[in-house]
Amino acid sequence: MTFAERMLTIDRRIIFLVIGVCTLLPLLYPVGLPIKISSEVRGVYDHIESLPEHSVFLLSIDFDPASKPELYPQAIALLRHAFKKQLRVITMTLWVSGTGMADQLVTQVAKEMGKEYGQDYAFLGWSPGGPAVIINMGQDLSSAFPSDYSGRSTKDLPVLDGVRSLKDITYMVSLGAGKPGVEEWYVFGKDKYKFEMGGGCTGVMAPGLYPLLRSGQINGLIGGLRGAAEYESLIDQKGKAVAGMDAQSATHVAIIVLVIMCNVFYFSLRQASRSQGHIG
Amino acid sequence: MIFLRRQLPLLITLVTGLLFAGQYYVPHPASEQMLTSATKWLQIIGGFALILGVTSLFHQHAVKITRQEAGWGYSLVLYAGMLGTIAVGLWADGKEAVDGAMTAFGWVYNFMMVPLQGTMFAILAFFIASAAYRSFRARSREAAVLLVAAVIVMMGRVPLGEYLIPLSGDVSSWILNVLNSSVRRAILIGVSLGAIALSFKIIFGVERSYLGGGKE
Amino acid sequence: MDATVFGAWVATGLTLLIFSFLYKDNPLFKLAEHLYVGVSVGYTIVKTYDTVIVHLVVKPIMENGEIALLIPVAIGMLMLARYVPKAAWMSRYAFAFIVGMGAGLAIPRTISSFILKQIEDTVRPLLSLAGPDGVTFSMNLLNPASNLNALIILLGVGSVLFYFFFSIEHSGTGKAVARTGVIFLMISFGAGFGYTVMARMSLLIGRLTDLIEFSDASYGRPTIWLLIFVVAALFFLARRGHAHPPDTH
Repeated sequence: MTFAERMLTIDRRIIFLVIGVCTLLPLLYPVGLPIKISSEVRGVYDHIESLPEHSVFLLSIDFDPASKPELYPQAIALLRHAFKKQLRVITMTLWVSGTGMADQLVTQVAKEMGKEYGQDYAFLGWSPGGPAVIINMGQDLSSAFPSDYSGRSTKDLPVLDGVRSLKDITYMVSLGAGKPGVEEWYVFGKDKYKFEMGGGCTGVMAPGLYPLLRSGQINGLIGGLRGAAEYESLIDQKGKAVAGMDAQSATHVAIIVLVIMCNVFYFSLRQASRSQGHIG
Repeated sequence: MIFLRRQLPLLITLVTGLLFAGQYYVPHPASEQMLTSATKWLQIIGGFALILGVTSLFHQHAVKITRQEAGWGYSLVLYAGMLGTIAVGLWADGKEAVDGAMTAFGWVYNFMMVPLQGTMFAILAFFIASAAYRSFRARSREAAVLLVAAVIVMMGRVPLGEYLIPLSGDVSSWILNVLNSSVRRAILIGVSLGAIALSFKIIFGVERSYLGGGKE
Repeated sequence: MDATVFGAWVATGLTLLIFSFLYKDNPLFKLAEHLYVGVSVGYTIVKTYDTVIVHLVVKPIMENGEIALLIPVAIGMLMLARYVPKAAWMSRYAFAFIVGMGAGLAIPRTISSFILKQIEDTVRPLLSLAGPDGVTFSMNLLNPASNLNALIILLGVGSVLFYFFFSIEHSGTGKAVARTGVIFLMISFGAGFGYTVMARMSLLIGRLTDLIEFSDASYGRPTIWLLIFVVAALFFLARRGHAHPPDTH
């Protein structure tokens, strides 16, 4: 077996080890390279910056613990920004397995920013049906959510004063990891009820949402951990996303090197077999 | 009887499909009220649909335990996890925290479900690296184009890549905003046309596989 | 022992059990995998019961007298008839209602959002070419809204749509258009792969961040002790010959 053949059939656990080390070392010994802000993320940030105080901001936390590393930092950064701007924050989720995480996240940030439940923010919880929930909220919010997550009637919450349906929302962001997510919020929500909306999503979903961004159907897109890091930099409160960027850099470079190596060995084998074909 | 088993369900599909497709274009208050009530019903029925997905899992593992098939011990672990979580959840009235204090249900969620689900997906990172090394080869011109685009985007999306090659950030942004968005737009239009065609086929009874259940 | 500290040990242990799969498939991983399914399903059942039965059905009926909600409950129960062989045909009514309604709701909204709006946005930027000052042409590649990019987007959308249209033969000019579509597709899939790599690595970064947090002395260093335990357990299992040969595909 030639060197190239041996390298191409290397035990995959060695590759696992390389990736593990490239992820772990920058987390333990961070460098802190600067992060350029993209226009996609700036779209969401600038819009929230432009909102007057007491505008109604709806954040739909449409992900489960599987996507927590990418979307949790996005949610924290958005909530911090919204609370800083004194917006009336309504949160909810369309994913059943993300309910506990969403509740914890909202409570944690609200406590940090000194906000009062019911007055400054509310967590409506989860309701089944995905698109059906969105349409129902668009028709009559108290029909979709008769009570909030703690069981209080939504009609009694001061933060929901004057908010009868999605038409009364000033701005909405869906942080989606799949279906239902950003696309469903547009198709079943913004299309008919005409509120402004932005999106946040995992890295897997991001390329697929660019058509909506380009057409203005969403006015901004926060993509993956990188998007969360950009948002944290914009609000000047660096958190887990920025801390993870060095590890992200290292692993990307590792994968690029692995791919280049694989192609070098592949082409050298192909060259060798072609020249043997010529000789033979 | 055939009418009840086959034709009436198809009639229901036809009527509800046309009714709610047409509702979009009728702004009359009665039409809007119908939409509100119907979507509320859909939410409740959606909850029952969730239970449907779960019952087949119950059945599959119960059979494994009763017949003591290979790996039935793991099915026992699954049942124990499920019943334990249900018991703890019902005891806590389905709440993960009460007045800021974590309940037992919240403990199970935060220290079992979140790490388990998170890690199951985190190990994919290793597999994508291994798969990239094994199979991401420029065997043809098209594969080479795919490879180059992937490398540019991987470089351009991390601070180190933008620091080493500043152009990679701008080029990857152009690839995503222009080239990628045009392709995804075409795919979106194509898939949506397909979905609409399928929806019409379902409404008009050409496509019946969704009915399932029972003979005929 | 504090619930949080105990929780940290359990969370770390379960994380490392799942990670043990990277060495090889083993009983520790299978245990954690089945526990994951069980806990997830249990959580879904509790949440569905609490939200649907208690808050969407029972409370509105008892407190507001919304008896009409018994109709969707009946339809939902019909769905469950699927598991009774003699009555399974009754579940068709429930599925007919849901599927019919879902299809009806989706059609006009999908046409409006994903077809009309997307085509409009592909064509509209070209109108800005001919303004009151005559024909202008902005060539800035870095600005996605420039005219040059609008033309590229039109080319991309058209060639990819043509590529997927298999009802006519891709020959002559058609072949050139289809090949252009393929190049666009490859670039897009490459970008998608790059973003997918980013996403997967982010998930790993998240888990390792938690493991590093739980290696702190305040939790009793569960990461370190449980890592030693898992490695020892894998070594013991390998010696006992339980493991399958390593998968080197």
